[in-house]
Amino acid sequence: MATEPAPDPAPLRAARRQRAFAAMEAHDLDVLVLGRVANMRYVSGVPLLWNAGSRPFGPGCIAVRATREVYLLSTWDEGVPEEIPHDHLYGITWNPMNQVAMLQGIAAQVGPARVGTDAMSPLFARLLPLAFPDADLVDATPALREARRIKTAEEVAAIRAAIGVADSALAVAVAELRPGLSERELTGVFMDAMASRGVTTPSNQDVVRITTAGSARPGTDRRIQDGDLVAFDAGVVADGYAGEVGRTWPVGTGAQEAGVAELARRWDQLWARLLEACQPGAPAAGLFEAYRAAGEPVPAVPVGRGLGLGFDDPVIAAGLPATAARERLDPGVVLVVTGCVTDERVGSMVAHEPVLITRDGPELLSLSPFWNPAPVGATT
Amino acid sequence: MPGDLTLAMSELDLPSPPDLGRMRRDRSARLRSLMADKGIDALVLLDNSNVTYATGATWPLSDAGRGNVERPVAVVLVDDEVPHLFTPFLADAADELGLDDEHLHGPTYLDVDEGVETFAKALGQLVPVGATVAIDEVTGAMHQARDILFAEWPPRPASEITSPARVVKTPDELACLRHALWITEQAMVEVQAHLEPGARQVDLTAMFLHRAFELGAEANALDPIWQVMPAHQADLPWTTHGDLACPLLSSERILVRGDVLWVDAGITYRGFHSDFGRTWVVGEDPSARQQAQYRRWRDVMDAVLAVTRAGAASSDLTAAAMAVCDGDRPWMSHFYLGHGLGLNSAEAPYVGTDLGDEYDRRLLLGEGTVLVLEPVLWDEGHSGYRSENVFVVTEGGAVNLTDYPYDPYGD
Repeated sequence: MATEPAPDPAPLRAARRQRAFAAMEAHDLDVLVLGRVANMRYVSGVPLLWNAGSRPFGPGCIAVRATREVYLLSTWDEGVPEEIPHDHLYGITWNPMNQVAMLQGIAAQVGPARVGTDAMSPLFARLLPLAFPDADLVDATPALREARRIKTAEEVAAIRAAIGVADSALAVAVAELRPGLSERELTGVFMDAMASRGVTTPSNQDVVRITTAGSARPGTDRRIQDGDLVAFDAGVVADGYAGEVGRTWPVGTGAQEAGVAELARRWDQLWARLLEACQPGAPAAGLFEAYRAAGEPVPAVPVGRGLGLGFDDPVIAAGLPATAARERLDPGVVLVVTGCVTDERVGSMVAHEPVLITRDGPELLSLSPFWNPAPVGATT
Repeated sequence: MPGDLTLAMSELDLPSPPDLGRMRRDRSARLRSLMADKGIDALVLLDNSNVTYATGATWPLSDAGRGNVERPVAVVLVDDEVPHLFTPFLADAADELGLDDEHLHGPTYLDVDEGVETFAKALGQLVPVGATVAIDEVTGAMHQARDILFAEWPPRPASEITSPARVVKTPDELACLRHALWITEQAMVEVQAHLEPGARQVDLTAMFLHRAFELGAEANALDPIWQVMPAHQADLPWTTHGDLACPLLSSERILVRGDVLWVDAGITYRGFHSDFGRTWVVGEDPSARQQAQYRRWRDVMDAVLAVTRAGAASSDLTAAAMAVCDGDRPWMSHFYLGHGLGLNSAEAPYVGTDLGDEYDRRLLLGEGTVLVLEPVLWDEGHSGYRSENVFVVTEGGAVNLTDYPYDPYGD
């Protein structure tokens, strides 16, 4: 982070925009109307004010294929690159008819036949036909996902940087791990370390969770006790890109408990198989196979999630078996792989590992150490 | 702390602690009564704040991107007082909300075609054929699959139900909101105590987040704003409307003595978003001119409060503010004089927006509505003053929920 908000670097912007327009070409989309933060950033390269949680759909960024012009919802030009001139900026408005009028202006120039959106709402399902009376309104997410799925070299560098911040803030929090602290206090330590490194936006705020059997929901005043297992889910958003890493650490005498050591052994076996499944071109469903081969149940939460500007492919979850069977881990995909093993009497050991799929195999992007149950000096 | 604020609070007699079970039941009754009135059989809710309202589920909100993968979804049926919740946080929901297996469902992935197909089947089990369904948001994959999901397109907007339900707060809701404000204010006490030349904007964020989480914040709601306001507007970025550029993002900018900081931040507690706004001066006391800006800001606030009560029109508030400023509008024209606050950082009602005076004349304030008033006093050539206070509209006026001094301004 600099001392002044700036647009994303020119090579990053150019590479992304080229892919976006190529996807519009391939999917025959004349205009994109984007409301998702990640898509707006992808196309515009402009840092936006971060809010936690979901945002209602609205036209936040417009891309026009014929002219290769980008229009952006921004009342000021800070962080706006030179290729988006002032007359392509439109300000915050509370009257959606103002947005319709703005879109009508664009429609008048290009006469679009197909307009794609990345989401929709009952309100804009009624208003967009007023702006584009002669166009088909279609779902643009297949085009956008195709554009964003494989990361450019510049994007991989941005993700690496974000993971570096997550790693370093995680290390600070792990160093503070001790009996008596609450989950929230330790979350505060992580957030402080993250912001002190110049990144003020988390990708996840469910950071610290005691996973010892019988533990309550996260973020309560529940205090860490000697012998507990504590899972960290460290995620930051740096320059728009998510960097995420997760580790589980035992507290105090927990490291000597046989049940915990056995969990760690099971996790190691699972992880070896998960990593093996991350080969270039391999089916994403291989992650499920890895769980089965290790004799571990597949968790309900995703075992693989794409990393990037936010909601990136692939999403590999037990609830999406057909999707995972079709999906391939192609070189240039970046994903967080989740390994989770549970013993009902002991607790859970979970880790999230960011992985770049390369032509030569998986590259682990995090430097965060794992807890290792082997005594000092033993070979592993 | 000003004594009048504390006195006013006692008028409200808020439950301590809030009764979360009662809060859920009250909300369910409100939603279903409105649904019955408007002929809606089922609500499908994707927006985080609507899901929280309908189910009582709260979770540490994530970045919007990750939030699209880990997204709880609610389905409310007009004839069932218990909502259905589809969530990745299954254990938390079972523990916290006491939902039975019939109402608690595993995660759903509405951004993925297969996830939409699975959800459509589940919805078909809950909602009879031909039922009238309202929804708040539609993902791209849902838009693509609209023929299997919706009997009519476009579907009815859920805001017909959620907006009127959410705009008036119950005492339990106000108690949660008050606690969210308390966490924020306590964290800000520490930040302000450490405010000195040489600090970076991100250092203030680090301190704020650390303390807010220690005090029990569920999540940070907004990347905190510590905007350095120049003396002249020309030293701010260009804007589409010629008004001030604010709020601008924080960075590693180093603060220097005399910087005028416009502070804006918020966290969540039990799903409720706080809102905090103050003007600070770095490393020195405000000048006489700056104190005069503050006093004029207080005059605007006092004038607005004098006309704020249940039944007042929004235009009464804007007119009162403008009367102090010779007809000028003392707020930023891309925003408003005031906005609602609850499960979103800004929500209805909006007072003084570009929807216009006629809209404001028709917008009447209800008892139990929460209003954040944020006048702005710009003094070209000498920067300006902006603060925010949170009020509950009552029959006789407005009760201040904000309990934070104006230091270094004032006596």
